[in-house]
Amino acid sequence: MIVGRRDVPLDNDASARFLPWLIGFMVYLAALALAAAIAVSNLTERWDKGLSDQVTVQVPPDIESDGGQDARVQAVLEVLRGKVGVVRARPVEPARMRELLEPWLGSQAATGDLPLPSLIAVTVDRGDPPDLDALRAELREAAPGATLDDHQRTLGRLLEIAHSLQLLAMLVVALIAGAAVVTVVFVTRTGLAVHRQVIELLHLIGARDGYVASQFQRHALRLGLAGGVAGLALAAATLFGLSKVFESGGEAAVIPDLSLSPLQWAILGATPVAAALVAMLTARFTVLRTLARLS
Amino acid sequence: MVRFENVTFRYDAGPYVLRDLSFHLRPGSFHFVLGASGAGKSSLLQLMYLWQRPSGGAISLFGRDVGELSRQDKAVMRRRIGVVFQDFRLLDHLSALENVALPLRVAGRRNSSLDEHVVELLSWVGLGDHIHALPPTLSGGQQQRVAIARAVIARPSLLLADEPTGNVDDRLALRLLYLFEELNKMGTTVVIATHNEQLVERFPHPVIRLAGSDNMISGGTRRTAGAGR
Ligand SMILES: Nc1ncnc2c1ncn2[C@@H]1O[C@H](COP(=O)(O)OP(=O)(O)OP(=O)(O)O)[C@@H](O)[C@H]1O
Ligand SMILES: [Mg+2]
Repeated sequence: MIVGRRDVPLDNDASARFLPWLIGFMVYLAALALAAAIAVSNLTERWDKGLSDQVTVQVPPDIESDGGQDARVQAVLEVLRGKVGVVRARPVEPARMRELLEPWLGSQAATGDLPLPSLIAVTVDRGDPPDLDALRAELREAAPGATLDDHQRTLGRLLEIAHSLQLLAMLVVALIAGAAVVTVVFVTRTGLAVHRQVIELLHLIGARDGYVASQFQRHALRLGLAGGVAGLALAAATLFGLSKVFESGGEAAVIPDLSLSPLQWAILGATPVAAALVAMLTARFTVLRTLARLS
Repeated sequence: MVRFENVTFRYDAGPYVLRDLSFHLRPGSFHFVLGASGAGKSSLLQLMYLWQRPSGGAISLFGRDVGELSRQDKAVMRRRIGVVFQDFRLLDHLSALENVALPLRVAGRRNSSLDEHVVELLSWVGLGDHIHALPPTLSGGQQQRVAIARAVIARPSLLLADEPTGNVDDRLALRLLYLFEELNKMGTTVVIATHNEQLVERFPHPVIRLAGSDNMISGGTRRTAGAGR
């Protein structure tokens, strides 16, 4: 009968109506920013894994001599296969090459008339990679003009961009958190002013500051959770919608995959909880600090 | 229990409300504070329940100098002091029952047997039919009785009542004073501020008279002070 009623009637305040909306909106934005950061990190990880053990050797076509190309490729393959640290070296089939080039060069490439360089896909042992510079020299000796591309330049640039994007996303999350803190501080101070008489009375009958703070923090926790869960639900719906759009667009190779691991879903799912906890702690801290200044 | 030594008091830079007031209220004593409207009765009680600080002099409560108390100390000390405020200060959004139970809740004591105790007390002050009523729906006298019940529910060591019978008829006023006497017999030190001389004369308790800011008369501990018999 006694327990459960709130001593400070915060539920009737304007804040009880607008705070959940604000927090919901903030959680929505934060969840999207987090999802973007996670998606980018998934993507870079895939790049990293996919490319860091891949190098490509290119043997340029020899226009003068007609039949020497195969011999040169063979010589290069021999060098590669004799190397410690090279797991696999496999020439890319000419048919596959033409397929890849067709969009750019037109069907002419497909006829096989055009002299094309030969490509050799090499997988290196990441734990014990060969000395690539020495390897380059050896390859040039075996087949003049042969080059080795380890994709590091491309990969490095991509990773740089990806990391800036992640940093930006984290900055957005931090800014949102800051805005949430400021909002809750303001709402709590307003609540303290509006309910000054009730709080005075509580103090007069022996309430500690912590008792008063608990009233405010419970209120903030409740509102934060309510708004946060709604915001997260909206964010999940948005992400789901986006992934559907991308899937139907058929550009899956270019657009980062939005499928998240369970842990990553858990991180996203924790945003309303985090928001509610931030709101709660902010409310508590604000009350304690404001009241301590009274004496 | 309560010791005032050369206490002066005024609001900010306003005129002196209390001047050079010294007295000692022993544990288990029962005092009236008498004075005309504006004489400083409420101000004196506010000093006793730690809501105001003296402008000069020293006050000690329960053997401790109140000037040295931290906020938390004050909170704990106030749990031993029951106050009936002149303006009641009930929480309008809580029922009579919840208002009365508030001091127990604030002190972290909550169980259902206390609930019974609260209902019993409300019945005693004649509000058995109104335990779930919100204060705004109660008459002035009914609100005052809720305020009194709240002040005594936690069995305070010191009870301070500011015009606790101002809104009730004489018969009920006597009944409420008998309640205070009962508490006093169980050991509670009681201080009642009032301007009702007739009521005071019906009880044999010492009186502290306040007579305006200029010619302050301090009742001290003289048992026969003022109208006491
Ligand atoms: N908060 C305040 N700020 C400034 N002056 C005040 C304040 N409260 C009371 N006073 C002044 O202090 C003096 C004493 O007031 P107090 O309320 O203690 O009188 P009282 O004896 O309780 O009167 P009453 O019988 O009408 O309740 C009055 O002159 C009043 O104007
Ligand atoms: Mg008064």
